[in-house]
Formats: sequence, structure tokens, C-alpha cells
Amino acid sequence: MIITDLEKNFSQFRLLIDRMVTKPGTIYGLIGPNGSGKTTALKVIAGLIKADRGKIDYEGLVKQDITMAPRKPYFIHDSVYKNLTYPLALRKIPPGDGLVESFLSLAGLSGREGQYAPSLSAGEQQKLSIARAMIFGPKLVLVDEAFSNLDMESSLAFEEAIKVSQKKNPATWIVISHQLANIHRLCSHVFFMDEGNLVEFGEAGQILFDPKTPKLKRYLQHLSL
Amino acid sequence: MFDALDAGLLNIIITTMKVTLPSSAISAVLGTALGLLLEGSQFYGKRIIVRINRTLMGSPPVVVGLVCYLLFMRKGVFGFMDILFSVKAMVVAQVMIITPIISGMVYSSAERNAPNIRSFAHTMGASAGQTRLLLIKELKNEVYFAAISGFGRAISEVGAVMIVGGNIRGKTRTMTTAITLLRNQGNYSEAIYLGCVLMAIALCVQLVADNLKGKEAVGDDNY
Ligand SMILES: Nc1ncnc2c1ncn2[C@@H]1O[C@H](COP(=O)(O)OP(=O)(O)OP(=O)(O)O)[C@@H](O)[C@H]1O
Ligand SMILES: [Mg+2]
Repeated sequence: MIITDLEKNFSQFRLLIDRMVTKPGTIYGLIGPNGSGKTTALKVIAGLIKADRGKIDYEGLVKQDITMAPRKPYFIHDSVYKNLTYPLALRKIPPGDGLVESFLSLAGLSGREGQYAPSLSAGEQQKLSIARAMIFGPKLVLVDEAFSNLDMESSLAFEEAIKVSQKKNPATWIVISHQLANIHRLCSHVFFMDEGNLVEFGEAGQILFDPKTPKLKRYLQHLSL
Repeated sequence: MFDALDAGLLNIIITTMKVTLPSSAISAVLGTALGLLLEGSQFYGKRIIVRINRTLMGSPPVVVGLVCYLLFMRKGVFGFMDILFSVKAMVVAQVMIITPIISGMVYSSAERNAPNIRSFAHTMGASAGQTRLLLIKELKNEVYFAAISGFGRAISEVGAVMIVGGNIRGKTRTMTTAITLLRNQGNYSEAIYLGCVLMAIALCVQLVADNLKGKEAVGDDNY
């Protein structure tokens, strides 16, 4: 995916991304202070909001290849099973038992496929939402605050599962998180945003441990990994 | 009191159903379609339409009845149809009362929930048709709730059916118009009996509506 001169204006905020390039099969982190425009950027990439200006080249990907797990996931008023298999149903892919079971277990919801999805706990909802975003093999996966509600064990399980799925079905991932430890483990490259701009980009280790710009240095000043 | 259920009373109950069931069914279809269409489209003057809908939601049945009467009377625009003082005219009048109520309720719940549902459908890769289907499924309970409220309104309404139907015995006499007449005649036991039947139906409607609301409540909290 190649973004050029992307601009989105709100009354009090301007998102301005001169250039942002992602490569297939790579997991990117997107970090930055509150209100820096991370969620807005993902929404524009997902096609949920229209940019005022600029261009996104999806390099052949269509809407059906792109998915987003938002900070507050939506669940259809139905069971865990129906929610998990919804993207499969849309694509008329038969939900194989092995496939569904593996994602249920990843979400820690084995044996609970009958539960009413909106009644799940915050972390369970987050896990189901990410599992649902992965199950149909999308090519561009956008995750907003992926780990904010996950306990440590679940976080590790998901990081592992994402890495494994990258071998079978390489996809581009852009993961927003304030949990920099997760970003460090999961992502090979990291974008840093501040005040609506992409300020710095590089390999995860370089961004987190050898920041170049004063803004990133300031953002990371209390970091202890 | 139970031997009060003679042929006349049974006829009244049947007439009531003949009016209110079709009128609420037609209104449910029209109102839901209008509400969803209004939410889903952007056009100049939409806010005025919404405002008019809001106003019509509270329109007094007697006024709607009067309008229908003027339309259907012999010299009226639709006088040729010759349906004044018939069940048909009563259904039309009630449809005019209830449709805005249902469309208004459907519109406001769609306005609240549809953006979220659309975004979700988009991120799942749903087509336009699949998105529409999901919207209807997800708003199903709200639509039921609106339809049931419409039925409750229809069955308890007296002003319009009185004017348009004329409260003709054995033909257009409904429970509400019969109660009015029975009270005028001082026949309180039959009036109370019909009142009880009406209350029982209203209670059932309420129970069904509450049940639908209860199902909605879980998981919708942000806390
Ligand atoms: N629809 C909107 N209308 C007006 N302002 C908006 C809108 N959406 C976002 N903003 C503003 O844009 C800015 C960036 O918001 P965004 O949600 O992208 O931040 P973020 O980087 O995701 O922050 P956080 O870490 O807190 O989630 C914020 O200041 C927000 O107030
Ligand atoms: Mg955000």
C-alpha cells in the first residue's frame, strides 16, 4: 500500500501524511500520543472515512481484502459462533469445523460458541474481534488498540498466532497500541505519529531504542521495556 | 360478567381486530420502509421531512379522522370510493395515524445504530446488499418494538374510528367506540367488561414490547 499526500481535516485537527508505504507480509506498529491521529489514519485506510485530498494505492487489494478491528468492536446481536463466522458467510466460505475451532480457541472461547456475543467481557470481545478479522484470510489487517484489554497470556497467544498466520497467509498488518512491549515483540517496523503527521519510521528496534526526532524522544522518555 | 360476551360483544371485538390488525400491519411495512429509507438517504430538505414526521407522530386522532372524513365523504376527493363508515375507511385513518409513529421510531433507532453497523459491514467486506440485509437484521427488535407500539396505539385509539367509522352497530363498532356509547347509555357492566378486554390486550402488547427491550439491553452499555 502506498499513501501519498493524504489529508483529512476536522474542525480542530488535521491529518497530513506525505508518504506512507507498507509491504505485504509485514507487521507494522503505529504509535503516538493520544489524539495524534492514529485511529483517523486507520479509518481512512479502511475506507470508513473519506480523505479530503491525496491518494491511497492499495496495489490491487479490494474492499473484501481489507479489514479493521476497531477499539470498540461491533457484534451482531447473535452468538459468538455467528459473529466469528460472519465474514465467512459473507464470502460463502463453508466454516470448516477445524478452522472455527482453532479461532475459537485462540479467542479463549472454546465451547462458548453459543453465548450471546454482546455479553462477552471487554477482553473477550477484543479477542473475538481480532479472531473474526483474521478468520477469512484478509490481505490488509488494521487493528486499533489491539492489546488494551488483553491479559498478558492472551496478548502473547495472539502475537504468536499472528506470526504463525503470516507464514500461511502473508498479510500487511498495521497495529495501533500504547503497549510498546507488544509492539516491540510483534512488529518489525514502526510508524510514529504526532499531531497528525508521520514523524518517524523505521525498524522497531531503532524506533523504540534509538529515536532520532525530539518528538519521538519525548514520547519515549518514560519507556522502560 | 362473562355471560356479557354475547354475539354483539364478540362482533365488536372481531371488528376491532379487523381494523387494528390490518392497519398496524400496513403501517409497520410502510413505516419501516420509510424510516429506513429516510435514514439511508441524503437529500435536500431531509431535515424538514424528519421534522414533519416528528410532528405527525403526535397528531391527534380526531384531527386525522376529520381529514379522512372530508376526503371520503360523498363530495370529497375520494368520495367516489364510497368507503366512508366502513372498516376500510377506518383502516386508512389508522394507517395515517400509526405510520408516522412507526417510521419515526424506526428512523431514530436507525439513526443511532446504522452508522456503526455500516462501518462494521464495510470492514467485513460486505456488499451493499449484504449491508442492507444486516441493517434490517440488526434493527429487527427495534422494528418489532415500533410495530407493537403502533398496534397498541391503534387498538386504544377512539377519535378517528368514531368519526370515520360512525360507530355503526354490527359494522364499524369497535371496543373503544362501544365503550364510549355504553357509558353514554349508563350500561356500565358491559363498558367495564370491554374495558377489561382492552386492558388485557394492552397488557399483552406491553409484555411483548418489554421482552424485546430486555433483549436489547444486554451488551449495549459502555461501562
Ligand atoms: N469526527 C471527528 N470530528 C472532529 N474531530 C475529530 C473527529 N475524529 C477525530 N477527531 C479529532 O482528531 C484527533 C485525532 O483523533 P484520533 O482518534 O485519530 O487519535 P488517536 O491517535 O487514535 O488517539 P488515541 O491514542 O487517544 O486513540 C483528535 O484530536 C480528535 O479529537
Ligand atoms: Mg485511537
